[in-house]
Amino acid sequence: MVRSSSRRLLFSLSSLYLLLILAAAIAAPHIAPYSPTEQQLERRFHAPDSHNILGTDELGRDILTRIIYGSRPALVVGLVTVSIALLLGGFFGLLAGMGHNALDSSIMLLMDSMLSFPTILLAITVVSFMGYGLVQVMLALGIISSPVFARLIRAETLSIKTEGYIEAARALGTPTVKIVFKHIVPNIMSKVIVQCSLTFAQAIVVESSLSFLGVGIQPPDASWGLMLKDARNYLIQAPWMAIYPGLCLALTVLSFNIIGDSLSEKFNPRLSDRL
Amino acid sequence: MKRMLRSVIILGVFVIALSSIVSAQGVDSLVFGLSGNPDTLDPQKTAGTLTFQVVKSIYDTLVEPDQSGKIVPALAESWSVSSDGLSWTFNLRRDVIFHNGQSFSSKDVAATLNRIMDEKTASPKRSDYSAIREIRTPDAYTVILMLSQPYAPLLATLASGWSAILPSGLIASGHNFAAEPVGTGPFRFEKWIRDSKITMVRNDRYWIKGVPKLERIELRIIPERAVQVQGLAIGSIDALEFIDPDDLPLLQANPKVTIKKELTSLIMVMAMNCSREPLNDLRVRQAVNYAIDKQLVLDVAYGGGRIGSTFLDTGNAYYTDFSYLYPYNPEKAKQLLKEAGAGNKELTITVPQNYPLHVKAAELIQQMLEKVGMKVKIRLVDWSSWLSIVYSEGNYDFTVIGHTGKLDPDGTLAGYGAGRYVKWNNASAASKINEAAKIADFVTRKRLYTEALEIMAKEVPFVYLGTPYRYVGTRSNVVDFRMTYNLDTYDFRWTELR
Repeated sequence: MVRSSSRRLLFSLSSLYLLLILAAAIAAPHIAPYSPTEQQLERRFHAPDSHNILGTDELGRDILTRIIYGSRPALVVGLVTVSIALLLGGFFGLLAGMGHNALDSSIMLLMDSMLSFPTILLAITVVSFMGYGLVQVMLALGIISSPVFARLIRAETLSIKTEGYIEAARALGTPTVKIVFKHIVPNIMSKVIVQCSLTFAQAIVVESSLSFLGVGIQPPDASWGLMLKDARNYLIQAPWMAIYPGLCLALTVLSFNIIGDSLSEKFNPRLSDRL
Repeated sequence: MKRMLRSVIILGVFVIALSSIVSAQGVDSLVFGLSGNPDTLDPQKTAGTLTFQVVKSIYDTLVEPDQSGKIVPALAESWSVSSDGLSWTFNLRRDVIFHNGQSFSSKDVAATLNRIMDEKTASPKRSDYSAIREIRTPDAYTVILMLSQPYAPLLATLASGWSAILPSGLIASGHNFAAEPVGTGPFRFEKWIRDSKITMVRNDRYWIKGVPKLERIELRIIPERAVQVQGLAIGSIDALEFIDPDDLPLLQANPKVTIKKELTSLIMVMAMNCSREPLNDLRVRQAVNYAIDKQLVLDVAYGGGRIGSTFLDTGNAYYTDFSYLYPYNPEKAKQLLKEAGAGNKELTITVPQNYPLHVKAAELIQQMLEKVGMKVKIRLVDWSSWLSIVYSEGNYDFTVIGHTGKLDPDGTLAGYGAGRYVKWNNASAASKINEAAKIADFVTRKRLYTEALEIMAKEVPFVYLGTPYRYVGTRSNVVDFRMTYNLDTYDFRWTELR
């Protein structure tokens, strides 16, 4: 009972935190104290004080402002990545699950071969071909994340496809497309939503890593990864440059993971009473 | 708790013992942090800076640059040039002995130059010597170089590391100079353990009396910047040739480390593509120059320096100051942009992302340009893309980059006025630069270069940010560690440990 209530608390805290980040991202120009690229060169490396609540960076830019603006690429990348991955993965997953053996195995071969590459490596390769930038990062991540969805959706489709009600629908002459959207999709949605939250978190981390490596968001735009990249050289001199964006990034990813876990337990009938 | 205390004590004793070993060993042996392995120790088979940094202590050249970059006698006591500039006569020193015991004479100079000019040696610097038509050795201590056309940069070539004089006997026997260099230099090569260290011992018969002062040098190969800095801080290395401005606070706080600030021979610029709208309009380029606070960019991005005004390093003997032309004046910039009707088109600063200092400078410049009403964005590319997109193809608007200074101004200026990556065309400047390369006389040369540099200063194909400082760090007991900035090499001859 204790475990369940603490989980519920964690779930609420995570949701609250993410809502806060979302609100910050939407209302950034209204709530941020400065412009994200405004350089106050006389206040370089300034420790947190009343002017700059979280301090300034090496060009005298306000850290709080940049964190607030940095939530925008993070959330946009997460959202777009998940959408692309869901569309692509869903399409191929359903096609493989409903299709013939040959189609199934060729699609899955393609997906498995994509899965065999480390995410970051594949992302860097794609970005190097398409050029650095936010749009490229989202496309790259969307494509790379699609096999996970394809595998999940195919597996679920395969197991649901043999259920009695599907057989019945088919016997009644219902068209396959209708069966897919009326019976299969609603039944696999719960697991897909869980995967969405995990992919969302992963996309934020990879976006930060790519920006950290210099191939993601381009300066002077604000991104958490880019802020960490700048901060790396000043860890002793100006630790606040690394601590706050790092904390923000970690909490965001943690929240998505907690929500993902909670949802997966909720949707799992054997554990559903826990939430 | 007790156990922890005990291990701390043991560790402490260990560290003290270790540091006493280090300092005992370092009485007259200098440990230097080298950033990587040289590809070879044969000075005539590479263009790699690391090689020349190492072999500078093993070999000598006929002439050499002094601390100010002026070329002074070395193995050649004196030299003269014929009035038509086609014959260069070098009078050699008579008291020089190679590390293997062979005496130095004109035969060695001829053999060395023939070796470089031989296609089979495949020296990447071979073309530097293409003006030499014939090498004459009338006696053992005179060398005459006959040229096919006047070529003033020859002296700088002979002062560079790739013109190191090798013993003729070993050249004839096909000695492996790549692994076992033999020269006339202040130190004798001892051994090279790859990825670990290169050691050298004093040449007691060096031709400058009382020099070198150190008994031994150990060049320790440490590629990682953080490890180099820590090494200097704890004393496991005695000298470090380049300290990133970001590491300065840490080292400056250390009483046992001395930091020396010296002007480099770098030319930091923001290049502008003069073939593109709206940068083909001189007024726009002038506006960009007025809009940028160069001193601020140098201070914030490059750790300080001296602002520039034309395309040469500010410490160069051929440099003339034109900084009165375009002082920082944002109002004037706005006015010029308005006159030119420019400012609506978004322009891009393309910067190599592996150089964080240039990226930082680009961020500063972007803000300064936006303040006068230009629309500017930054695009990061990797180094190989920068070389192909920007430097070869000229496919860019702005780029921030550093040009390494050369011993001879021709190395920096050749080709400008007739394109290069800034796509700037000016027949008058180009012909002056071409002509200056043929003149040996310093005064006449300087007059021509000054005229060309003035055109470059006025027409501003670049924003001449300036020449940054370089921070060299040594332990406080190291005295007189010198660097030759134009060649990016170090000179250990005068160094002492106290």
